[in-house]
Amino acid sequence: MARTRFHRIVRAAWPRVLAIGLLLGIWQLLVVVGVTSPGGLPLPGPGDAIAEMGYLTSQGVLIPALLKTLERAAIGYSLALGLGTAIGLAVARIPVLRAGVGSLLAGLQSLPSVVWVPIATLFLAIGGQVENAMYFVVIMGAFPSIAMGVMSAYDHIPPLTFSLARSMGARGPQFYRHFIFSASLPGYVAGMKQAWAFSWRSLMAAELIIGSVASSGLGPILDDGRSLLDVPEMFAAVLTILVVGIAVNDLVFAPLERGLLRRRGLVPA
Amino acid sequence: MNVALAPHPPVLSIATDQAFVTLRGVTKVFGSGRRAVTALQDVSLDVADGEFVCILGASGCGKSTLLSLIAGLDRLTKGSINIADGRPAVMFQEPALLPWLTVRRNVELPLRIRKVPADERGRTVNRLLAMVGLIDFADSRPHELSGGMRQRCALARALAQDSQLLLMDEPFAALDAITRDQLHDDLNRIWQETGRTIVFVTHNVREAVRLGDRVVLMTPRPGRVAREWDVDITRPRELDAPEVAALASEITARLRAGGSADGTH
Repeated sequence: MARTRFHRIVRAAWPRVLAIGLLLGIWQLLVVVGVTSPGGLPLPGPGDAIAEMGYLTSQGVLIPALLKTLERAAIGYSLALGLGTAIGLAVARIPVLRAGVGSLLAGLQSLPSVVWVPIATLFLAIGGQVENAMYFVVIMGAFPSIAMGVMSAYDHIPPLTFSLARSMGARGPQFYRHFIFSASLPGYVAGMKQAWAFSWRSLMAAELIIGSVASSGLGPILDDGRSLLDVPEMFAAVLTILVVGIAVNDLVFAPLERGLLRRRGLVPA
Repeated sequence: MNVALAPHPPVLSIATDQAFVTLRGVTKVFGSGRRAVTALQDVSLDVADGEFVCILGASGCGKSTLLSLIAGLDRLTKGSINIADGRPAVMFQEPALLPWLTVRRNVELPLRIRKVPADERGRTVNRLLAMVGLIDFADSRPHELSGGMRQRCALARALAQDSQLLLMDEPFAALDAITRDQLHDDLNRIWQETGRTIVFVTHNVREAVRLGDRVVLMTPRPGRVAREWDVDITRPRELDAPEVAALASEITARLRAGGSADGTH
């Protein structure tokens, strides 16, 4: 049992390990070749960046900053999830809204949410209240993906499902609970996954620009490194940001999506 | 005992004069103006309580449209449809099982929607799954079942709606001949056990003759009733029994003779 489990983990992990190894190899190669900034700062290697992560952790900087950033991401994402779901459902079910708001949502989705940062700073970050401004930027980055996910999930429900619901006499809450929500779940989760990527990017943009003023987080560490010309610190921050992005995707969304699809017979078990 | 001389078995559900389903002058037009297509024209039909009526016709004769009108899934243009009791249960050509639910939960769904208490739901679902022969697959998911088993599950779910009227829209058309034969036997048995009223749409003449108390032939463009046959053949009927074959070829000849309805209406 333990053996097969071990083998399964190895089999699932090796392509990923290989890819990471390849990336680190290329990175190290650039260091060996001697790449420097125009100002003469040497490019730190993967080892330096990881050592810097250890140092920042030991100094009690990295973990609190990571937690602060994750807190912002969680709050902003949750708000975006609520807003996006409500808007998506309304737009999917109400034809007038679909005609009007549908294309607007697609536009908002392609709008880089970093453009909201100056506006959010001006209107929401009053008296050092930077958190509200960050939530706003995250929401603007993530909610269109959620809403679009809901809409497309709804559109992909087979018409027969609606006939079935009607012939069973399912109405109102029952109709939504037993048919609409379950039927649109895979598309919804796909939207959630994409929205996570958008919200993480948006948050980093917001933290880089706003956060360095008054607050902690991964973005401020990166900005701090830049202003102190501490290149390993900058790389430590980038690496941490990357690892969080991968971890949330691999540990939260990928299993959720895989489980959903497997139960429905849409991927081999 | 000579089978040919055997008396008719007792009829379990006696067709009374009182119609359970009454269709009068049912007309359905899709679209409007010059592009309007009359799918059904002036269809009148009575179905008695407990009767098994097969509506037979080539593709495009409006038989499925007729069924969805009776099911209340579409609006009629003209005429009237009366059903003595409640909302009919519908079985589609595709099983239309919900892929995120197990077999048991799929069958249970109509009971949940009707807010039947949990213990009663469990008993009913077990009884229905036993009836369609799926009790060992109660916890399987639809994608793990064969085509025939999916339709059995859909049948159990339709029966769980506890509606006296069961509408079936070519439910076995996508199945292989052997599986279809088994499902015919099962449906015949289940109909006799439950005494439901069944309106069964098909383009398969033998299927109609094998299952129906009555076969209603429809002709296309516009869809109307061409002729009806009462099927007085002892049940259960074999697909290749001589009486079935004889009536089927009579109906097929009438079907080939073509389009328009003759003086029968």
